[in-house]
Amino acid sequence: MRGRTAAIAVSGLFAAAVLGGLAARGRRRPPARRTRRDHAARQLDWGAATLAGSVLFDSAIEHYRGSFEHLGMYVPLAVASASMATSLSGGRCPGQLRTGTSVAAMLAGVAGLGFHVYDISKRTGGWSWQNLFYAAPVGAPGALSLAGLIGLAAQQLRSGDWPSDQQSGRALAALASAGILGDVAEVWLLHFRGAFHNPAMYLPVTVPPAASLALAGIAVGAGRPTLQTTRGWLWATAATGLAGVGFHAWGVHRMMGGWRNWSQNLLDGPPLPAPPSYTGLAIAGLASLRMMEDRHD
Amino acid sequence: MSDDPMQTPRATKGRAPDVFMPGGWVPMREYREDEKVDFVIVGTGAGGGTLACKLAEAGFSVVAMDAGPYWRPLEDFASDESHQSKLYWTDDRIVDGLNPLQLGSNNSGKSVGGSTVHFAMVSLRFRPEWFKSRSKLGYGFDWPLDWREMWAYYREVEDALAISGPVNYPWGPPRPRYPYRAHQLNAAALALAEGCEAMGIPWTETPIATLSAPRGRARPCVYRGFCVLGCSTNAKQSALVTWIPRAIAAGAEIRDLAMVGRVEVDRSDRATGVHYHRNGNWRFQRARNVVVAGYAIETPRLLLNSASDRFPEGLANSSGLVGKYITVQSNQAVWGTSDKEIRSYKSPPSLALTEHWNYEDEGKDFHGGYCYMSQGPEPQLWANTLLSGRGLWGDALVSEMQNYNHVVGLKMVGEMLPQERNAVTLADETDQYGLPIPCVTYSWCDNDRAMIDHALGFMGQALRATDARDIWEQTDDTCHLNGGARMGDDPRTSVVDADCRSWDIPNLWICDGSVFPTVGGVNPSLTIQAIACRTGDRIAAMARRGEL
Ligand SMILES: Cc1cc2nc3c(=O)[nH]c(=O)nc-3n(C[C@H](O)[C@H](O)[C@H](O)COP(=O)(O)OP(=O)(O)OC[C@H]3O[C@@H](n4cnc5c(N)ncnc54)[C@H](O)[C@@H]3O)c2cc1C
Ligand code: SF4
Repeated sequence: MRGRTAAIAVSGLFAAAVLGGLAARGRRRPPARRTRRDHAARQLDWGAATLAGSVLFDSAIEHYRGSFEHLGMYVPLAVASASMATSLSGGRCPGQLRTGTSVAAMLAGVAGLGFHVYDISKRTGGWSWQNLFYAAPVGAPGALSLAGLIGLAAQQLRSGDWPSDQQSGRALAALASAGILGDVAEVWLLHFRGAFHNPAMYLPVTVPPAASLALAGIAVGAGRPTLQTTRGWLWATAATGLAGVGFHAWGVHRMMGGWRNWSQNLLDGPPLPAPPSYTGLAIAGLASLRMMEDRHD
Repeated sequence: MSDDPMQTPRATKGRAPDVFMPGGWVPMREYREDEKVDFVIVGTGAGGGTLACKLAEAGFSVVAMDAGPYWRPLEDFASDESHQSKLYWTDDRIVDGLNPLQLGSNNSGKSVGGSTVHFAMVSLRFRPEWFKSRSKLGYGFDWPLDWREMWAYYREVEDALAISGPVNYPWGPPRPRYPYRAHQLNAAALALAEGCEAMGIPWTETPIATLSAPRGRARPCVYRGFCVLGCSTNAKQSALVTWIPRAIAAGAEIRDLAMVGRVEVDRSDRATGVHYHRNGNWRFQRARNVVVAGYAIETPRLLLNSASDRFPEGLANSSGLVGKYITVQSNQAVWGTSDKEIRSYKSPPSLALTEHWNYEDEGKDFHGGYCYMSQGPEPQLWANTLLSGRGLWGDALVSEMQNYNHVVGLKMVGEMLPQERNAVTLADETDQYGLPIPCVTYSWCDNDRAMIDHALGFMGQALRATDARDIWEQTDDTCHLNGGARMGDDPRTSVVDADCRSWDIPNLWICDGSVFPTVGGVNPSLTIQAIACRTGDRIAAMARRGEL
């Protein structure tokens, strides 16, 4: 019963964030002519919102599993919801509020990282595979910081504080590249824990690294690969993130009792909300490419 | 017809139970009794089940018989300790000697899949030197096997069972990575780890035959901890859900509720088949080769019960060693009460272990080695332990049981030394089939006692280094019976050769724990299965060369 209440509460948070955000966005008058900058900013909004949504659900499930042992475990839920709402509302959201939420998300992510590192270091065995596999995941809170950073970038871009040019595009490409790489490390660790028992588990540790590499090429201005190729890898990464939800749903089905035993298997099976973090980061990467093209605007 | 698998055989009419589906069936090839099959195998446990698979996959016609029922774990196993005692071999046996063994739950099983249906899944490799313990370590007997060859067969078994183990194993020569990753440690395992760290010795996650991720139609472990009473999720990689489905798919026939009473041998001293009891009748299955794999008590018993004019002392017994040198492992424990909630009964019972005293030879006043691991007794077993180990009863027992959630313990698996006086012989009494029952004689030697003292002392110190208090010693427990038909290089001092082929009767093979000359300080099932894999390969090679 407590499980159901928690599930309803988190879904409520999610729905409120989405509806609130979209309602605000809806009230905005369409600009006379959408510039690439607007497009890029909006794309960043979507990236940040997707990432924050993934964090919201993932931390809800994992922290519920950890019985919300202390109050700090509620923080990512609150911050990720706020971050999602402000990202979705886009330009309608007052700048200060947007900046505030983004900074909060960045800080909460860093604090989470600290907590998770502390949690591992005090466990028997310390920095062992056992604890890397089963203690609080080291990399996960980083996703919240990334959602904050990307949200901030969207905000700055839209307000004009940040030019939509080659240099900004490169900086953003570097951010997305690093973010994807961090995500890859986390996914590799957890899929290694699962012994890559399904060949599909190799997908998210092969496609996104390629995207990350391509983005890195863009960021350092290597001239290769082309924007077009990079875009292809990013779309593939975004699709991998979405397909991951389906694969993880299949994984839940393979646990004892399958979906009939959802209240247990959603907690113990592969995490449904985790893979779309790739999608969020890939969308941010796509936005960076758009900015790179801005000179033609 | 009744669907009670303990009353009516299930593997009939060209089909066998599908262990992965309640009420399900898989097609199974059947052989006529007058058809001379290539191999009839007695027993389908760690030895027999594995060999049935290997031989069937090599293209031989195989009939494997088991006295026990053919379970579908998903529908037949209950969360009830008393009910699940249906998995044990509890036919009458007599025990004597200075330290009579307690037989039943902690020894042998009676099921298709043998004792692996209710074993604790700990899957360890021998220390390489143990295969030559006489020449390398100065005690026991040498095996006719080379550890490097065994290393490859261990790998084959670990793959077949998708063993979950640590990323790096701290002891012994390098081994490939375990196919599946280690499980999350429970509090009982963490207590072991804490103790080891305090004592300055390494520990690790136990390599264990239960899935940490899905595999085929088997589900991953749900950490309910009912393992030694039969796993109702199929996470446990017993012979019943691994080797036997493979054997059937490759054309083997399994006959459940088929108790073999006698191996028949003709005038030219070749085995011709087995007499077995099924559906209320004695029957005869013809075969070109007979493999006995009934566990260290039933294997010698069957060989002795098959005595004939030409072999008055029993089959394969020209050395006089059938039934001799049976060797158990010491299974003493220290227990305590933690302030923390341990709930040791959650998760497979032995998730962490140390093999330190298997690999360290300095500072020991005894031969051989031991490992020790974390424990997770189910409530009835725990009440029994309190009764037998501390004599608690009535109010005292009830009040001590209140601490059940806080119990934490360490238990050894120690190498006892093989002694000729420890033996399986035949008693005058007979069982429900009219067959003479076995008498199992066991006495510890000084070395056994010295090792137990060392282990109890060390484990006690380790447990004291955690927050456990009220520490006490469980001094009288044994497990894992092996030997009784040992392998060797010399027909005068062994029953079978390295290929598990009996010296006396060339088409009679013995392939289970009874071929162990020594037991080592680790649980035996991985070694039994590795030997069976090797035997399967050797038989196929001999057949190709026309040497069968
Ligand atoms: C509670 C428990 C926990 C254990 N835990 C571990 C562990 O964690 N790790 C480990 O390595 N080992 C463990 N073991 C030991 C392991 O299970 C055995 O060593 C191993 O299964 C023995 O293999 P086997 O082939 O010799 O005999 P078994 O696996 O016992 O198979 C023998 C089969 O032969 C059948 N049989 C016997 N006689 C006849 C006959 N005359 N006719 C027809 N059928 C017959 C029996 O019914 C039985 O099914 C455990 C054992 C028990 C009981
Ligand atoms: S704890 Fe795991 S292996 Fe043991 S009975 Fe339960 S599911 Fe099976």
